[in-house]
Amino acid sequence: MSHSVEKIMSPAAGRVVQPDRLLVRSLVGGLVTSLPVLVLGLLVLNLAPTYYTYLALAAFVNLIVVVGLQVFMGNSNIANLGHSAFVGLGAYGVAVLSTPLAMKKLSIPHAPFGFATLQLDPFSAALVALLAVGIVAAVSGKVISRLSGVAATIVSLALLIIVHSVFLNWTDLFKGNQAFFGIPKVVGLPWMMVLSVVVIVLARLFKDSRWGLQLRASAQSPQAAAALGIDARRLRLMAWILSALICGLAGVLYAYFAGTISPKLFYFQQIFITLAMLILGGMATVTGAVTGVIVLSVGLEFIRSIESGVTIAGIQLPQLLGLSGVALGVVIVLCMAFRPGGISGRYELDEQLSRLLRRSA
Amino acid sequence: MDYVLQQLLNALAFGAEYSLVALGLAVVFSIMGLVNFAHGEIIGVSAYSVFLAAALGLTSPIVAVLLAIAAAALAAVIFERVAFRPVRYAPTTTGLLTAFGVSIVVQNLFMLLISPKPQSVSILNGLNQMWFFGPFAVSSLQVMELVVAGLTILALVLFLNRSTLGLAIRAASRDFATVRLMGIRANRVIATAFAISGALAGIAAVFIIARRGSVSPDLGFSLVLKAFVACVIGGFGSLPGAAAGGMLLGFIEVGLLVALPQEYGGFKDALSYVIIVTLLVYRPEGLLGQRVELGDKEI
Repeated sequence: MSHSVEKIMSPAAGRVVQPDRLLVRSLVGGLVTSLPVLVLGLLVLNLAPTYYTYLALAAFVNLIVVVGLQVFMGNSNIANLGHSAFVGLGAYGVAVLSTPLAMKKLSIPHAPFGFATLQLDPFSAALVALLAVGIVAAVSGKVISRLSGVAATIVSLALLIIVHSVFLNWTDLFKGNQAFFGIPKVVGLPWMMVLSVVVIVLARLFKDSRWGLQLRASAQSPQAAAALGIDARRLRLMAWILSALICGLAGVLYAYFAGTISPKLFYFQQIFITLAMLILGGMATVTGAVTGVIVLSVGLEFIRSIESGVTIAGIQLPQLLGLSGVALGVVIVLCMAFRPGGISGRYELDEQLSRLLRRSA
Repeated sequence: MDYVLQQLLNALAFGAEYSLVALGLAVVFSIMGLVNFAHGEIIGVSAYSVFLAAALGLTSPIVAVLLAIAAAALAAVIFERVAFRPVRYAPTTTGLLTAFGVSIVVQNLFMLLISPKPQSVSILNGLNQMWFFGPFAVSSLQVMELVVAGLTILALVLFLNRSTLGLAIRAASRDFATVRLMGIRANRVIATAFAISGALAGIAAVFIIARRGSVSPDLGFSLVLKAFVACVIGGFGSLPGAAAGGMLLGFIEVGLLVALPQEYGGFKDALSYVIIVTLLVYRPEGLLGQRVELGDKEI
């Protein structure tokens, strides 16, 4: 028994293990975690009608956002309520850079800095957009990593409002409140699945890396970590930037599959949904992020069908606007009260599986 | 001159409102470390109670004001009993997310049970008039806002300094465990803090209804975000800090409104947040906050 505990604890307990073996272990772990996602994606790809493919694409975008959120929240244990700012920046970044010129003449003819006459191919547009996300993240992260937990959360909210307000009011570049249309639709389900797996593995590698471990340690006990020479600020900044880049990637992918975006997509509605997903699944693990997205995506779709007014046993129910919001909030409140660790708790999927196997053996 | 005075009054009135809401947040945070995102929905409950009472035939503005304050205080105490008590000793992030969840639930309940659209409430419109002082015309609402906020803060200071329960609240914000060892009931201290916080929100709600003449599900939410920013800039958990931060935010906003050309008016909120975040770079613990000692922190 003590042997098995030691094996699970080994990365944290500091037992001498070959570094590349650890790397392989978290790589495999990440792949195991992304298996359910792959299976569901393949099922939808091969069996489902078009409408469900669209839903699945949206769910994959949420998945990437939630995994990005987990990278910061799960490791630093600071609530981040502003991640949609980066999703929006990614989406608007590629919208401004890659929309065909003919479309731009219609939508943003007066764009400053020559953006009205610039058209990049989708791949380089995505890279430039992510670069922009990275710069905004580095600047905002400088401030946020210096603050204590609560103040950092409030500033992340302020960032969301700042970015949203710029989208709304800089009409020459972002079209303001109107939908920005004509973005090339170049991303389908296969691309989305590949990138989801990449992101999940990346989040897992960060969590298991030296930096992730140190950041988690400093979240548990700031003083003990500081006494060991851990620079929590620098680690928070790293996690913040990585998290922002992943969220930015989600935005890029959203723009490339939907073709049309508007500012309100990247505001509180998205924050509520993704936060509820992460909390329900459990924010300590990447597995939690994946679980939460799968469970709530299905659950919300069911609730939305009731929300729009259904007929049960011949009785037409009225429209129940707000029902899905109530459900999301209730999920958050109940989780926090009764199971703060979420569904998956402290262990990743592969760790749970190997524990299960060992117990039955 | 007239213009300068008018803008000054504007800034003071905005600041007074932010201070009231920020104080409500700070009272609760200083005692139990709860970042109460649902504070805006306490304002919402208060406003919707006035709306419902008016729809049921209430006509007296005085009763409406009392109702608004009572409903808010009651809502705050109920929120605490139902949602925040289970997470009372949990880490700050847990409480914060719980409050965020409560805020989503209540906002959507307004949508579900009443309507997603703004509903008009005219019962308190009488508070919003023009008063003439010689050559000056001022909005009665702004003057009242300033006076009421001042009196409320005075009453709060007197209560905290002169009454036993007030003393217990101040002591609890320093060291809750010792206060309980002195034989003070934790539930009573916390319920009082929430009732005070709710009453402050109710007063703010009265002014909001009088100014807008309507209620909508998200009416408290954006105001509370601003109050949070005011708290952060003043130093989170510090009561004087919350009041000062609220005033500062009011002055920054009105200053920007005056300074910005008309077509950039939409950037007002964004710019005031940028200014405040920049201030935080130089004083991460806020203007009146103290650097937190983590040494003897209870886990």
